[in-house]
Amino acid sequence: MPDPRVAAVGTSPLGRTELTGRDLFSAAVAEAFADGPDPAEVVDAVYVGNQSESYEHQIMHGTLLAEWCGLRHVPAERVEGCAAAGALALRHAVEDVRSGRRDAVLACGVEKMTAGGTAGATNALSAAFDRALEQRTGVTAPSQYALLAQRYLHDTDATERDLARIAVKNHANGAANPRAQFQRETDVETVLDSDYVAPPLKLFDCAPVTDGSAVVLVATEEVAAQFGGGEVRIAGVGAGANNIGVADRDLTFVEGAHEAATTAYDEAGVTPADIDVAEVHDAFTSCEAMLAEAAGFAPRGRGYESALSPAERSDGWTDTHLSTSGGLKARGHPIGATGIAQAVEVYEQLTGTATPERQVDGATAGLLINEGGVADAVTVAHVLTT
Amino acid sequence: MTDDTDPTTAPLARDEVTADSPFTLPGFFAALDDGDLFAAVCEDCGKRLIPPRPACYACGGRNLRAEPQPNTGAVVSYTEVRTPPSALADRAPYTVAIVELDSGARLTGRVTVSYAEVDIGMPVRLVVRPPDDDEREMALSYEVEWPIHEFEPA
Repeated sequence: MPDPRVAAVGTSPLGRTELTGRDLFSAAVAEAFADGPDPAEVVDAVYVGNQSESYEHQIMHGTLLAEWCGLRHVPAERVEGCAAAGALALRHAVEDVRSGRRDAVLACGVEKMTAGGTAGATNALSAAFDRALEQRTGVTAPSQYALLAQRYLHDTDATERDLARIAVKNHANGAANPRAQFQRETDVETVLDSDYVAPPLKLFDCAPVTDGSAVVLVATEEVAAQFGGGEVRIAGVGAGANNIGVADRDLTFVEGAHEAATTAYDEAGVTPADIDVAEVHDAFTSCEAMLAEAAGFAPRGRGYESALSPAERSDGWTDTHLSTSGGLKARGHPIGATGIAQAVEVYEQLTGTATPERQVDGATAGLLINEGGVADAVTVAHVLTT
Repeated sequence: MTDDTDPTTAPLARDEVTADSPFTLPGFFAALDDGDLFAAVCEDCGKRLIPPRPACYACGGRNLRAEPQPNTGAVVSYTEVRTPPSALADRAPYTVAIVELDSGARLTGRVTVSYAEVDIGMPVRLVVRPPDDDEREMALSYEVEWPIHEFEPA
């Protein structure tokens, strides 16, 4: 079975921008293909993670983005799974290369979230919830995650201050990441003083609305060599859908993420303790705490210690560094592109090309967890290794 | 639907998937309008699913029965929507909760009292009412008459 490699990566600027979705994609492609062949010389297929057509009134992103990077008559399609769309696209690329059917597949994500303002994003994201009971109740992304966070704080020793520390840590990481939307630090009091969006979650517990695109070229070792790379393998993939309604979930344990991560670990032949860096889906600070537990980094009920240094954490924690990019919180959360942006960060960590302030020395294995809908409505995990 | 078909068992034949079956959304909301909140009870594993559907995701079984649920339960978690979808802007802030009914079935709904008045474990009662103007405004054509469910303190 061919062993998929990361051949090249790129991102657009992340944040509020005048550029449209396709332009953001052009920026990401420009970076990824700066030192290699043109897309038309190597790319066999395109998968595009994209959350919603409501932002730009545009579907057909497969066709559009293939055209915008010079491809014609190749399979190209949009992949939809709300915020997990990016990792679903990456997964398709990995499976295609593994199958031996294709040598190089472009996994992309793009979202132009600021197009409709806060209301536009709120309305577009609400489409991810069960229409029959949840949408008609008027829930929103922050309130859905707040239902989980409220119960987590009730059932564990975690406090709102602990969640604030996660935001502070991720802002500090973002301050060291030239790709990040928020390249500035914050402090616990600022987070705690920010307004409630959906209690117990406050504005500074929430990832921002972000415009952005990211691309990863997944390829055989031979194609990757044409880009001067190939040392990073995509060694494990896990994906799964849980049920759509939040009410029926285990509110404090993200079962779907546990399943997906376990599958990815098994494929890669690693354990949680082997993972040096992890980009988890911190759409809200509480997500990072709960995903640290689901991924096997933290004992149950102790994931909120992710902001502490490894030496300060409870017994049973791994030494994994979480959200070194700044996470969704500070790097930004361009919904359909987030799963790809996570891969970009772990690629930089594993190739030692992250900025020195956030580089984890000697990192050889990383985990990505990308979730869509609310929490584990759909989850995708990838393990990258050198 | 043939005469010997029991409308309270999950439809396993194509002709049984009808708009008057509680296993479809039109049938579910029509029953709710009459005061019956139906769950599908999995005869294989016991899980209760709202709204009813023809298969149990917990065990994979397709042997389900529609059963009216008790209208009382307790809050499992709750929050307050401060930044609502545009259609409900005039209602914000409003309280939403996940409620576990006395049968064990769970569902999400609005709570009729303020966030400060709610707590985990609080007993609540399901109430059903016709949609207000803003709720009709956000409805799709086939949803306009579907009732709104809410929880009030019990």
